[in-house]
Amino acid sequence: MKFKSLILILLFILSLNVKAQEKYDISVDLKDLTFKEFVSRAEKLLPVRFFYRDEWVSGLKMGDYSNCTTLSCILDNLFKGTSLHYIIEESGNIVITDKYAVNVSVAPVEKENNFMPPSDYAGSEGSQHTEGTASVDIGNPGEKNKTGNVTISGYIRNKDTQEPVSGVTIFVQKLTVGTISNDYGFYTLTLPRGIHFLQFSFIGMREKKISVSLFGSGELNVEMKSVLIPLKEAVISAQKNVTLQRFEVGAEKINIASFKLLPTSMGESDIIKSVLLIPGVQSVGEGSAGFNVRGGSVDQNLILLYGAPIYNSSHFFGFFSAVNSDIIKDVTLYKGGIPGRYGGRISSVLDIGSKEGNRREFKGNIGVSPITAHVLLEGPIIKDTLTYILTARTTYSNWIFGLIKDPSLQKSKASFYDINGKITYDLDKNNKIDFSVYTSHDSFRFNSDTIYSYNNNIFSLNWRHYFNSRFFSSFSINNSSYNYNISSRYLATEAFVLSHKINSTGLKADFNWFLGRNEINFGLDLTRYAVNPGSYLPYSDSSLVKPHILDKERALETAIFIEDKFQLTDFLSLNIGLRMSSYFSFGPHSVMLYNPEYSKSKSTIIDTLYFKPGALTSKYAGPELRVSLNFRLSDKNSFKINYNRTRQYLHLLTNSTSISPTDTWKLCDYYLKPQIGDQIAAGFYEMLFKNSFEASAELYYKRISNMVDFKGGTHFIMDDNIEKDIVNVRGKAYGLELVLKKTEGKIRYSIGYTYSRTFVKSISNFSEEMINSGKWFPANFDKPNDLVVTLNYIFSRRFSFSANYIWSTGRPITYPVATYHMYDDLLVDYSDRNKYRIPDYSRLDISLNLKGNLRSHRTAHPDWTFSVYNLLGRQNVYSIYFKREGDLYNGYKLSVFGRAIPSVTLSFDF
Amino acid sequence: MQLIIKYLIFKPLQLGFLFLTLLVINSCIEQFTPGPSQDRNLLVVEGLITDRPGHDTIKLSTSMPLGAKSSPNPLSGCVITVSDDIGNVYSASEIFAGTYVMNSPFQGVVGRSYILHIKTNETYHNLSYESSPVRMKPVPAIDSLYYKKVVLSQSSDGFPLTEGCEVYLDTHDPENNCRFYRWEFVETWEIKLPYFVTNRVCWVTKNSDQINIKNTTSLSADRIEGFPINYISNVTDRLNLKYSILVNQYSLNQDEYNYWEKLKNNLENVGSLYDIIPSSTPSNIRCVENPSEPVLGYFSVSAVKSKRIFIKDYFPGMPDLYTDCEDAIAGLNDSIASLNSRVWVIIIVTYPPPGYKVLTYLKGCADCTTRGSAIKPDFWEDSK
Repeated sequence: MKFKSLILILLFILSLNVKAQEKYDISVDLKDLTFKEFVSRAEKLLPVRFFYRDEWVSGLKMGDYSNCTTLSCILDNLFKGTSLHYIIEESGNIVITDKYAVNVSVAPVEKENNFMPPSDYAGSEGSQHTEGTASVDIGNPGEKNKTGNVTISGYIRNKDTQEPVSGVTIFVQKLTVGTISNDYGFYTLTLPRGIHFLQFSFIGMREKKISVSLFGSGELNVEMKSVLIPLKEAVISAQKNVTLQRFEVGAEKINIASFKLLPTSMGESDIIKSVLLIPGVQSVGEGSAGFNVRGGSVDQNLILLYGAPIYNSSHFFGFFSAVNSDIIKDVTLYKGGIPGRYGGRISSVLDIGSKEGNRREFKGNIGVSPITAHVLLEGPIIKDTLTYILTARTTYSNWIFGLIKDPSLQKSKASFYDINGKITYDLDKNNKIDFSVYTSHDSFRFNSDTIYSYNNNIFSLNWRHYFNSRFFSSFSINNSSYNYNISSRYLATEAFVLSHKINSTGLKADFNWFLGRNEINFGLDLTRYAVNPGSYLPYSDSSLVKPHILDKERALETAIFIEDKFQLTDFLSLNIGLRMSSYFSFGPHSVMLYNPEYSKSKSTIIDTLYFKPGALTSKYAGPELRVSLNFRLSDKNSFKINYNRTRQYLHLLTNSTSISPTDTWKLCDYYLKPQIGDQIAAGFYEMLFKNSFEASAELYYKRISNMVDFKGGTHFIMDDNIEKDIVNVRGKAYGLELVLKKTEGKIRYSIGYTYSRTFVKSISNFSEEMINSGKWFPANFDKPNDLVVTLNYIFSRRFSFSANYIWSTGRPITYPVATYHMYDDLLVDYSDRNKYRIPDYSRLDISLNLKGNLRSHRTAHPDWTFSVYNLLGRQNVYSIYFKREGDLYNGYKLSVFGRAIPSVTLSFDF
Repeated sequence: MQLIIKYLIFKPLQLGFLFLTLLVINSCIEQFTPGPSQDRNLLVVEGLITDRPGHDTIKLSTSMPLGAKSSPNPLSGCVITVSDDIGNVYSASEIFAGTYVMNSPFQGVVGRSYILHIKTNETYHNLSYESSPVRMKPVPAIDSLYYKKVVLSQSSDGFPLTEGCEVYLDTHDPENNCRFYRWEFVETWEIKLPYFVTNRVCWVTKNSDQINIKNTTSLSADRIEGFPINYISNVTDRLNLKYSILVNQYSLNQDEYNYWEKLKNNLENVGSLYDIIPSSTPSNIRCVENPSEPVLGYFSVSAVKSKRIFIKDYFPGMPDLYTDCEDAIAGLNDSIASLNSRVWVIIIVTYPPPGYKVLTYLKGCADCTTRGSAIKPDFWEDSK
């Protein structure tokens, strides 16, 4: 009988009613039996069962135990001199543990509370202690009189799926020391010898408290149980202390459980939409793809899925996220304090943690919403070893188009789908491999003669190797590509196909080394880019279109990084990291040289430089320093300070306020320099009212150089020499983010207020290349005031209600200020860029979640979500534009969602 | 490229928005009235010199604040000269306020480049303005100008067929040299009142008020086929009797093409989710004393070729603009005594006295010169 990872599940059983009392008499000749033979014999003779790991007992041989009459005497003798311990439960289970012993103490008062189901930890601190509490010995008890610090470490897994759980807070209240489990579910904590009370908590998981008698360094692996809905107060309080512990200023972790409770816009849980609720994150408006973090543009966000970047994060022009929320385990957004292992984008990292398949049993989920349908299947191929997870999502909007009477729209089509798949294979205890695939497709047909389609594709192979319990590595290779195709047959002589593609292949080696008070992370990151900036080809032979293919761009980005999280004292910790990144672009490539006395344009070209295939056309390199300091002022509050430099070697060229799927990616080249971001941030964090409230204030200042803007009124599509149409722009942003969260109780809420400003300024010697005469002006997404309030009210296990309210200043806009006549035409002259603002934005969304049935034996669990987006029906202005009507220019306000939008989503677990 | 741009940026993305509209996500558009904007009286230059003899005009005006209905704001009393690259200087005379005509014998020559000089008087701060030199490129002839009927709605459920008309243009440059084109057109159409009055038949003339440009840089041949130059809808009476359109085809250099393209983008690509951020369109004219002062308009130097066609065809569903005349006959039997001078007597009857009867109270129904000219244009061909 073996139980692969037994350890802490036991503690539940143990906590019931266990007495370490001997009652098994045995007198058999056991000499020279292997331990396994002994076990099978003992299990035959006695009503006992053994739990252990094979590798612990493989070398054990039974000795002569003729003087023993009890099982415990035999085991005592047998384990003498080994690191093994055992415990005999009243039920007859004999549990063998390595390196630590399990003691069970039963508090006398506890008897009265025994009617409580053991797995239900009540919320208040008081009742917590009345529960039977398991305690664990770690290390050799003989060393108990020694002093000094020792290290305890281990893995945290989800009990049901056996997936590692990252982001779990491990906290020792008395010492106010804690840590967070890493991506492998591994944690390490340095504590003084003695008895400690460890709390393991994570949103969406049942909190765990373990008393540890620490005699020496050792391992403590923990299994945590996820809760169907985060109802119990113990769960709700889970994330407390996290903010105090984290090094980063401006890191936010969203767990899928809390994210699924948020109101939806069209019946789809949407990860980008929930990221927008985080203070410091903004967007241009509804239906705009992407998001802006602390004054950064949309292309400055690194969105990672399976460790690979996603180049277009939305379907349907931004109305849906490109990543199906079914596969998301958790999401971490770094607004600042970006760890050294991430690079290549300057404003933020959105790391989407993906689910692994269920290791124990087959599970599935299907769901429908007004626009989409999705399905999820997961399970083991080989139990506990080889698992898969597969999800797919599609829309049935084409069917809706078919119902429309308008003949031109009947021929129109719009659809999307996305598919995710992941296979995880545990080669052995120390080697794990996973392979993931993601593909998303959007297609769009207008009036049957113009077809648009765009695709994301990701492949990722990842090998995790554990050298020992302190030293891990992860090697991954991935490929991500994005392309769009536009074809038109509107006129036979001009029928064309236009396409653009970016393809990147990344290779990453990442090492984590836990060395006492240090946690060292180092590695290597290589990315090869190949961009087809644009090709414009005739659609058919009858087309006169001249084939035009822009020079392909090829480049290599390399980085090495090393970072150390170092606990200087119990009150002060330092995280220092350095990332050295470099970039090389290669020929063949033709570079136009311009007369430096004039603004770059076709007419100022004086010469052409030709680079042979493989020749270096440009190279850029520089260090990126990442430093954080965390001062723990008391057990209730902390102060953090952080500096970050980031470099980015590619740009998204866009000339509209909101990015569109037909915007093109451009690599740095002879003219285009890397974007460089510097951010300094400071934060103060405090737990209030017995840790039931969490308050924080973060202040940041950021500078960005070498951003790209356009000369005005120009198109970037099929542009041979992009440098003549762009303007070098510098940005600065600053802001204050205030958050108050109630994290416990049936009613939870958070209030976030942000005051932030973002300005840009064009840098040039020529007036043609200046925007607003080279003065600072507000960026498109500069919304100084931003208030986000979210509320969760959990009525019962089956019902929950949530609401969010958003209010922000309207975004800046450019509009006409003067009219004039020319050639009998009435024309308009525009104001300086972004001189005016659209009206303030305000929106209230609500949703009600209803679980149809919670009984576990039912084959399907329905789950209903009723949502109303923009409940107040407010016509939030997206843009203001002016159209000529007769002799007048009339202004119009465009609202995307002009009224409340209700939706219903139904899904089944099976 | 124009076509691509039109289709790339404008339609698809609007469709995204349209799609959502159809899913009853009810986007909505509301009128917006801006607050008072600052006064900006910028110089506006409308200058075009061509290779056609006589009457090249340069118009000067100043801009007006956005909002109220506006008529041109001419700037008179300025001194205008045009110089060429071989040292000639030509002068212009102001024929009426703000309109300056090149004095003969000026005629533009293909291949030569020109600079416009403007000197304003004290009403506009005594400033000098100067354009950058612009070379005149040759332009090919218009190969053909033709029209096609456009079905606006099929007849169904008792609603008759309605048709509009699209006028197309073909041109090509055998030298593959012109590449950048601009067109202007003048429409003239005949109107006829329903009553036998003195001014019964007139000709209405209207200049184009849209920017028509196209380049062929993405095509292997400098050939344009089926360029839609003008769409005539079924809400006007242009096509009821006989219609004529004169198209002027101008050669552009790339800088001027870019100017018109920006102007056009700013005007047209609005109201979608992915509007291009508009901006002022920089002119090729700058103020000598203050180079950073914005100037509106452009000094164009173009060779020109023209072509005219007539359209006399039956387009179902064209409106009769004179049905309202009948609605105004409420007082059909009013006596002449109740008429005043603004009422139009149409027919003479014998009874009731005094022998006049009012057919319409609308002047436009009784005198076609309210809309056009009763003098037949020289080019008008009755035969076709």
